[in-house]
Amino acid sequence: MGDFPATRISTDWITIMKNHIERMKRLTARRQFLGEMAAAGVATLGLGEPMVLANESPLLPKATADCCILLWMGGGMAAPETFDPKHYEPFEIGLKADKIVSTFPAIPTAVDGVQITAGLENIASVLNRGTLVRSHRMPDLGSILHSRHQFHWHTGYVPPQTVAAPHIGAWMARFLGPRNPAIPPFINIGQRLEGHGESEELKAFTTAGFLGAEYGPFNIPFPEEAANSVQPAKGVTPQRFESRMARWRELAKSGPLGEKMSDFHRESVVRSMENAHRLLSSRDRDAFDIHKEPKEIYDIYNTGRFGQGCLLARRLAEAGARYIEVTTEYVPFLHWDTHENGHTTVENLKKQIDRPIAQLILDLEKRGMLDRTLVVLATEFSRDMMIEGVPGSAARDQSRAKSDVMLEMKHYGLHRHFTGSCSALLFGGGIKAGYVHGATAPERPLLVTKDPVSISDMHATIFTAMGISPKAGLDIEKRPFYVTEDAKGRAVEKMFQRSL
Amino acid sequence: MKCLPMFFYMICAKQLFSAALFAETPKIDFVHEVVPVLKKHCASCHTNGTYKGSLSMDTREALLKGKAAIPGNSKNSEIIKRIHSSNAEDKMPPKGSVLDDKEKQILARWVNAGLPWESSFSFKIQAYMPPIKFRPVSLPAGNGHPIDRLVNQYLQGGKSMPLKKIGDQEFYRRASMDLVGLLPTPEELADFAVNGDSQKREKLVAKLLADKRAYADHWMSFFNDILRNEYKGTGYIDGGRKQITQWLYPSLLENKSYDLMVRELVNPKPEAEGFIKGIKWRGNVNASQVTELQFSQNISQVFFGVNMKCASCHDSFIDTWKLDDAYALAGIVSDKPLQIFKCDKATGNYAKVRFLWPELGNIDANASKEKRLEQLAGLITSPENGRFARTMVNRYWQRLFGRGIVHPVDVMANKPWSEELLDYLANYFKENQYDLKKLLAHIVASNTYQAMVDPHAEDISADTYVFHGPLIRRLSAEQFMDAVWMITGTAPAKMDAPLKDLPEATGPSARKLTRAVLVHSNLLMRSLGRPNREQVVTTRAEIFTTLEALDLTTGSIFNDTINRGAKNMLEQWKMKTPDQMVSDLFLRSLSREPSAEEKAKAMELLGSKPGLDQVADLLWVIFLLPEFQLIG
Repeated sequence: MGDFPATRISTDWITIMKNHIERMKRLTARRQFLGEMAAAGVATLGLGEPMVLANESPLLPKATADCCILLWMGGGMAAPETFDPKHYEPFEIGLKADKIVSTFPAIPTAVDGVQITAGLENIASVLNRGTLVRSHRMPDLGSILHSRHQFHWHTGYVPPQTVAAPHIGAWMARFLGPRNPAIPPFINIGQRLEGHGESEELKAFTTAGFLGAEYGPFNIPFPEEAANSVQPAKGVTPQRFESRMARWRELAKSGPLGEKMSDFHRESVVRSMENAHRLLSSRDRDAFDIHKEPKEIYDIYNTGRFGQGCLLARRLAEAGARYIEVTTEYVPFLHWDTHENGHTTVENLKKQIDRPIAQLILDLEKRGMLDRTLVVLATEFSRDMMIEGVPGSAARDQSRAKSDVMLEMKHYGLHRHFTGSCSALLFGGGIKAGYVHGATAPERPLLVTKDPVSISDMHATIFTAMGISPKAGLDIEKRPFYVTEDAKGRAVEKMFQRSL
Repeated sequence: MKCLPMFFYMICAKQLFSAALFAETPKIDFVHEVVPVLKKHCASCHTNGTYKGSLSMDTREALLKGKAAIPGNSKNSEIIKRIHSSNAEDKMPPKGSVLDDKEKQILARWVNAGLPWESSFSFKIQAYMPPIKFRPVSLPAGNGHPIDRLVNQYLQGGKSMPLKKIGDQEFYRRASMDLVGLLPTPEELADFAVNGDSQKREKLVAKLLADKRAYADHWMSFFNDILRNEYKGTGYIDGGRKQITQWLYPSLLENKSYDLMVRELVNPKPEAEGFIKGIKWRGNVNASQVTELQFSQNISQVFFGVNMKCASCHDSFIDTWKLDDAYALAGIVSDKPLQIFKCDKATGNYAKVRFLWPELGNIDANASKEKRLEQLAGLITSPENGRFARTMVNRYWQRLFGRGIVHPVDVMANKPWSEELLDYLANYFKENQYDLKKLLAHIVASNTYQAMVDPHAEDISADTYVFHGPLIRRLSAEQFMDAVWMITGTAPAKMDAPLKDLPEATGPSARKLTRAVLVHSNLLMRSLGRPNREQVVTTRAEIFTTLEALDLTTGSIFNDTINRGAKNMLEQWKMKTPDQMVSDLFLRSLSREPSAEEKAKAMELLGSKPGLDQVADLLWVIFLLPEFQLIG
């Protein structure tokens, strides 16, 4: 009792003891509750844990999809070079730049009267399974920074923001949770977050933000090595791992902190370790090993990292992941970020994406999963030969192959960032099959002429399919923060098979 | 009629009645005549959160906004028409007893008198009103530590059990982690245990704080978080951000007083200007996120626990801060007159420069920007500004105890669990020239700090929270990495922070390591909770997540560290038996000897002739124990 004067503590000893006993009773009740919570895999006792808004149920009565796969074309996929063919001019020395709208000829698709561009023949053959959006439109944010537009697309909010905005995958993890408790609900495949010019900006949105790390991404930059991320670290055999866990359990229970076992910190350590152990020792982790796939199927997918990522996504969707993103990977000036040599680069990219995407759709269909799996292909904006941003934008022209006429092959391609329209695909998960939504002008500027779809509305459509209200939100710092910006997103009803 | 709130009687006592607007109308006594009528007939449907028909009668402004009355014109006022109506559709009140004639007359006279209202009165139950200035505290009698005397009084008032003091080893570990972020070595623990000096805890605190380097390394994380300073991050790509490392670190090294630090941040020389410059992304930015508004938000949050984020866009719905207030502060740092945007739309009005609390002083709108910043720096750190001191002592209390006296730390308008304690600490801080080390030493010297953790802490966010000792706290990412690196000798060779010619840490060589705070964040540290620092971060997550468990189990960063560590340990342990190895590791990691049972379990892992794998297994198990990851 140290320095406490005895008279002060003995004044009302009986009341003190009574209060203490009451407190212990409440505590015991809470411990039991915590035990149940741990089983349910929920932790709500953190500091400043966001609260569900009282007046809006986050969940809609009818989801049309249980799982979402986002195929991300990072770097700005040019619509006229892919899913919205326009006037094609083959390369020719001396050809004037302003004559070129597309550098690929159009090809027919499985949907009557709908064309996409050469190099996407496999996707063309499955286009009747989904909706092609040609009127996705981005805001003019002035001078272009890819990662800023990517931040916007992935969170629905333009940075900077006063609170850390959550990634759409994190919202799904938060509101829907895992489909299979052994599989992390939000899996991010193919993006390295270290070691290039915009990695800090990528990290800023590849996060659960204020929702808390529990809902954050499980990052798998190299799909071929995915199996490593769900097995004990290199060199630790299953036997060693089991013996580590066994000793850990024993020692975690003993020790002089026994009484503190009730503390939610300790609960969260124990719960998390057991969750990790469950994944690491479950058969479900086979889903992470793409080499377990029959060789003939593996070979169809194996066009490179992106193709392998699609295969991994399919396996994880089967195993019960909630949200999976597969990216062609954004690295400044690589892949879809064609500041020069655009035609050749896109030609190569198509070889990487065409076969695996089509196969993913067919595989999901064959397994009877396409109906409940929403596959989305999207990008942060399109590209154009002439216009940077949108007509009238103050954006600084960042093309590296500035030439009024084609002098060499590297001049041939769409090298400027264009935000006035871009294309997206949606397959399965209650989305219409064989439908084209929206249109763009036939000539430059290729602006949306019909049914524009903003990022908020695209997200509202995705969330609605997944059974999350576009108005769902959480209270953070006493302020409501919604899954779509200011709860304004509206699902595009025309894209759904049935009325909402 | 039920009882009136307390402040009501105070108003009556002071005879503070509003003057009627029209001299010729008979005087009306708002408090004694009008309020009882409104309370009886209107309040249950139209005040304090219930606003039927969207009409609020909380304040005069609300009443006018709801178009319920026209001042001076009772005939055409809706409220008067409705109380006389017999039409079931629109009569008021719709149910229950109608107003009698006298009551009707009172309201009519009141409307005709121009709706006089007592300016400070609202039907909305007033939330706690935090004081702005310093307030004297009378300490309870006795000769113990002032903090203990205040806390004792608090505990007895709540009829709670007194706090129990922790032992020497626990104290050493806790104080060392809190003051310099490092674990004690077994030798230090042993010396401390046999030291018979009755003042040894105070002396230890002084010794820890005297280690300038270790102290600065530890507190750098806290200040990096709240000032969002980072060595790389968003914004740098376009020169839209500037780090303050070369100002911040030396400031901590020399224990610059907090008020001086803040003056140098708000009215900066080039090396400290990063904080007020904010983060600028390439391209156009929403009006509420321009760097001037970031300045307004960050000054408010960091120094005062005021949320100006909502008010940057529109009048706040959650407190009393208005759009004009956010711009008033933003205007101080603006190079040109700052146009006010409401929800990203230009209003045509311009910011009127002023300070948050005019009672503390003014900013000269016509002065140069430099002068305005100097005036602002002076007002923030004014000897009258108790809110400034309270906000910081509360942040420090939260760091040391796991929960602030006011919770959360960024909402200083919330009621503290002990106003006296908060006031006392704020006064102490000011009287000691805002010396951060003195503040720490003072708190750590109390029995309250040296008490056993409260194992029963229920939801700490609840209004019903009762202080009963420190809470268990989780190690920060930096503390965890430093602990692992220190024990296993695996710290990186060089720092990434742009600092040079730093003094060495004092004490045993094991404590002289490159600290995690001075190297770039990596996947592991991010997963352990080191933030992006895109936003001001004032508290870190307390929850350990499955993704962290996976990173520590499967990730190569941690595994490589463990394997390198195992090699180092084996070399150091060449002459030791497995029994001694286990004891040594327990002491180094958990600051205690293992029990016989624990020793037996641990030795099972090591076997009779431990090799690299066996040692790695033991390190892994110990580092993942809750006891290792928590400060108890």
